[in-house]
Amino acid sequence: MSETTKNRLLLVFALLLAAVYLFPLYWMYITALKTGSEMFATPPSFWPDDPQWSIFPFVFQLKGMSQFLWNSTVIAFGSVALIAVLGTGASYVLARYRNVWIDVGLFLVLMLQVLPASLMITPIFVLFTLTGILDFPRTAVILAIAAKSMPFFIVLVRATFMSVPMELEEAALVDGNSRAGAFWSIVLPLARNGILVAAILIFMQAFGEFVYSKSLIQEIELQPSSVGLNAFMGPNTNEWNRIMAFASIYVTPILATFVLLQRRIVSGLTSGALK
Amino acid sequence: MRRLYSSLVDGRGFDLCLIGIPLAFLIVLSGVPLVYNVVMSFQAVDMFSLGSFIRPWVGFDNYRQLIAQPEFWPIMGHTATFLAASIAGQFLLGFALALFFWLNFPGASWLRGLFLVSWVMPGLVVGAVWNWLLSGDFGVFNFVLHQLHIISGNVFWRSDPAFALWSVIIANIWLGTSFNMIMLSVGLSSIPADLYEAAELDGAGALTRFWTITLPMMRSSIGALISLGLIFTLQQFDLFAAITAGGPNNSSNVAQYWAWDLSFKQYDFAKGAAISVIMIVVVMLASVYYVRSTRHEVRG
Repeated sequence: MSETTKNRLLLVFALLLAAVYLFPLYWMYITALKTGSEMFATPPSFWPDDPQWSIFPFVFQLKGMSQFLWNSTVIAFGSVALIAVLGTGASYVLARYRNVWIDVGLFLVLMLQVLPASLMITPIFVLFTLTGILDFPRTAVILAIAAKSMPFFIVLVRATFMSVPMELEEAALVDGNSRAGAFWSIVLPLARNGILVAAILIFMQAFGEFVYSKSLIQEIELQPSSVGLNAFMGPNTNEWNRIMAFASIYVTPILATFVLLQRRIVSGLTSGALK
Repeated sequence: MRRLYSSLVDGRGFDLCLIGIPLAFLIVLSGVPLVYNVVMSFQAVDMFSLGSFIRPWVGFDNYRQLIAQPEFWPIMGHTATFLAASIAGQFLLGFALALFFWLNFPGASWLRGLFLVSWVMPGLVVGAVWNWLLSGDFGVFNFVLHQLHIISGNVFWRSDPAFALWSVIIANIWLGTSFNMIMLSVGLSSIPADLYEAAELDGAGALTRFWTITLPMMRSSIGALISLGLIFTLQQFDLFAAITAGGPNNSSNVAQYWAWDLSFKQYDFAKGAAISVIMIVVVMLASVYYVRSTRHEVRG
């Protein structure tokens, strides 16, 4: 068997694997487009006869999704901004020095990464009630997500900073730059890509966050899409095409971002997550 | 004042400021709640005393009552099953896929990356989609199994107590397989190719090469990945909320969902805190192992 035939066969098999693995996504979009009777047909139809494109604007209106998506966006942007501002400096210091204190700091950060959100929520709820932050529920969720996800950001961005050669920074110092100046004008620009990738990953996570929002936000008009989707799915629901339409509208921006930036996201993730 | 400013721009103060503020933030919003959780698990707490720090001290009473509850051991068992099955499934499927994509045909790395969409999707959406796929009467999962002659009648994945936990496990394996695959691919690509060439010259078959080169060379990344899987799996909450909500009759309930349910649905904060403390101890042990597996890198 020649090299090209072998490569082609492998590619076909890989496409097949991808098709099987990504089938749930396909099913989500297809179900959204089906009519009510087609949805419950046996055997199930794998291609909608009469695609109902109008379901997307209909569900968008019906469920008030603009508000849900807006709240998700506010929460995601707020958390990313807070994490990026605080986390970048921390990862820089953790990458630049080697001593016992850095090891302790790193260990502490890793430990805080592992606490499950569903277990930390009660004390955070109490803390926010006592300090009055709970009166601003979206801010409360932003703070909680920032505390939860910052360690992950630090771990990823630290790997980026470690790949920026220290010599460049030293050269800038010799040329009369201050530490802050060298950090701002030399190190940060070189690490920009890694920081962006980590920020995008955090954004995606925060955009889908559920447990903090569910527990801290009572007002429906302040809830994000994840809580809205959860409320939509009752125990005996049969509106699956509408639920899948909701899910599609919610998840498509994330999927689009991911597919566009796939290569960078994967390389950014692999450079840091196991270290 | 000037000295302070110059230290902030050009000296020790610069580093201390960069690391100090985030650490203070993390300690206030993660460390303090953690300690508070432990303290609360030894106190009598109700709706009215939730906001005060001074509460009657009850020692291990919360823990004793918790363990005495009939659902305690079943739920712990479900947690263990959920952990073991999820990690095994994600790891084995991820490893198989990583080995396949390692063959490095044109398009391999792009396709491999595409798999990661399962990992970046919101947990609630993954839960909703699997909820529909696994539906008993009209779920396509049952249809496919039926066509493959694996089952004869419909399985009611979410409402049958024997399968409810497995419906969440299946969804969780789907969610995490791609992450395992990507991470294992990194480990595979760091093995020097000449090792394989030398082994092949010595007449080692593919299986021997896998056992004697691939597995030992990847030991530290496998260790890190499995402890990371343990941590992620113990954090999984969204799928339970979206697929079974712990039911029917606690048959798919696990510790992390139970803790939230006790606190926010039944307002039994002390028991919720007690179960949190038990789980946090487990997670901490896993993360010590994780840090140890990556120790060589941490020391640099």
